[in-house]
Amino acid sequence: MSNQSSVEILTEWDIVAARQLGRNVAKELGFGTVDQARITTAISELARNIYLYAGQGRIEIQRLTENGVKGILIIAADNGPGIPDIRKVMEDGFSTSGGLGAGLPGVKRLMDEFRIETILGEGTDIRATKWLR
Amino acid sequence: MNKQIASYIENNSTEIISKWQELMKNEESERSFQVMPADLMDQTSREFSDLLVTNLLDNHEAYENRLADFAEKVVRLGWSITFVTKAITHYVEVVYHGMENAGIINEENVRAFVEEFSNWVTPIRDSTIDTYSKTWERTVSLQKIALQELSASLIPVFDKISVMPLVGTIDTERAKLIMENLLEGVVKHRAEVVLLDITGVPVVDTMVAHHIIQAADAVRLVGAKCMLVGIRPEIAQTIVTLGINLNEFTTTSTLQRGVEQALAWTNREIVEVEEQ
Amino acid sequence: MNFRIPILKLRDTLIVSIQWELDDQTAIQFQEDLLNKLHETSARGVVIDLTSVDFIDSFIAKVLGDVISMSSLMGARVVITGIQPAVAITLIELGIRLEDVMTALDLENGLDKLQLELEA
Repeated sequence: MSNQSSVEILTEWDIVAARQLGRNVAKELGFGTVDQARITTAISELARNIYLYAGQGRIEIQRLTENGVKGILIIAADNGPGIPDIRKVMEDGFSTSGGLGAGLPGVKRLMDEFRIETILGEGTDIRATKWLR
Repeated sequence: MNKQIASYIENNSTEIISKWQELMKNEESERSFQVMPADLMDQTSREFSDLLVTNLLDNHEAYENRLADFAEKVVRLGWSITFVTKAITHYVEVVYHGMENAGIINEENVRAFVEEFSNWVTPIRDSTIDTYSKTWERTVSLQKIALQELSASLIPVFDKISVMPLVGTIDTERAKLIMENLLEGVVKHRAEVVLLDITGVPVVDTMVAHHIIQAADAVRLVGAKCMLVGIRPEIAQTIVTLGINLNEFTTTSTLQRGVEQALAWTNREIVEVEEQ
Repeated sequence: MNFRIPILKLRDTLIVSIQWELDDQTAIQFQEDLLNKLHETSARGVVIDLTSVDFIDSFIAKVLGDVISMSSLMGARVVITGIQPAVAITLIELGIRLEDVMTALDLENGLDKLQLELEA
């Protein structure tokens, strides 16, 4: 089985496809039910961000092994407008979409590692990792 | 040349060991050696000496097995790795000077002997450090497992009422585990009220309080009520001083009062039965 | 092509059991269907059972929260039942507290709680 797989996010249905892919990989890697829910939810949030703000993009799921520890890496990449003020979107309660304002800080809490790179007018690349405890 | 060193050590072992013990006793940083009973010290010293000689005699397999045994032993005795490294250095010094004084090492062969000594001792140092770090890693991972096992289980005390006693320091990793055990337990035992007993938690800072509030919130979501019990006076003081808001919580000082409250919530009470 | 979540009526209570993963359209359709049903039947209580739901993201949580507020505007109390531990933990970590929501361990407990609430 290949180490990575990805889903193009174009419609709302692709959000469902992305999180199902993530859940399957998480299950195969041996994550417990709570971590599976964390990973699935994080993917759902990231995919929805792409759908709402960038219009289209890609969710990529990678299997990781580092020092004998297994993990899962979610990459959410788009060529959308980028994020003008990262510090602001990482504040709790900030949301421009009328959601509950969980967004990126929530994703960060669900995962072990979280990194965001964004360039105005060029796009955003978010990487979030969870390690098998 | 190896054989020369080995036979020198064998012929003079008592003298070498006593000189070496003198040097080690002067290592002030290591109390374990000073307080060790004489017979145990003699035995350990002889084992140490044998170990080093085994390595000289070219039987690597035997040496590695003995080294592993020995390292585990000194770890149990509480010798630090610094101490063991010093022990090796001092031992080699004693042997070297002894052989120099006996005229076995002289100006002609000194260079070859120095090289030989170095070839002898370097792998010993390397594998000692290696064995040590492996032993530590194993100990650390065992302790981690032990800590997780210690990490809270939910105990049903009455129908619909369960208690989770928390003991020890709560870090983020443990908090997650506690939350999982708590919720799985609530659903499994069909608890309508859970009492989180923090009598055994030494410090409640903002982070610990935050984890407790989160756990209580999650308990509410699965459909049960959470109560915080075992709040000692100093904990109450820190909570208020830090400005932590636990107003949404029911809290009591003792588990006993908590249980009474939990019974009341589930429309029950404890009554005394008159003797017949 | 959308699934519709069946809404059952038992005396003056509506019972909904969500049995599969909610996509956005189904969730919004459900919100509409439930409010219409409340209007038709003038039920006073709603139990939404989530036992089979294994994850809820902020969107679904928002729809649920909205359903509860809207139902309350129409005079009905909502109880959410059977939220799985993994789902509860994920919601809390996301920062979604679903405050002021009545919850119960399972459908049966939920109906009991609702009954108590409606009698009060």
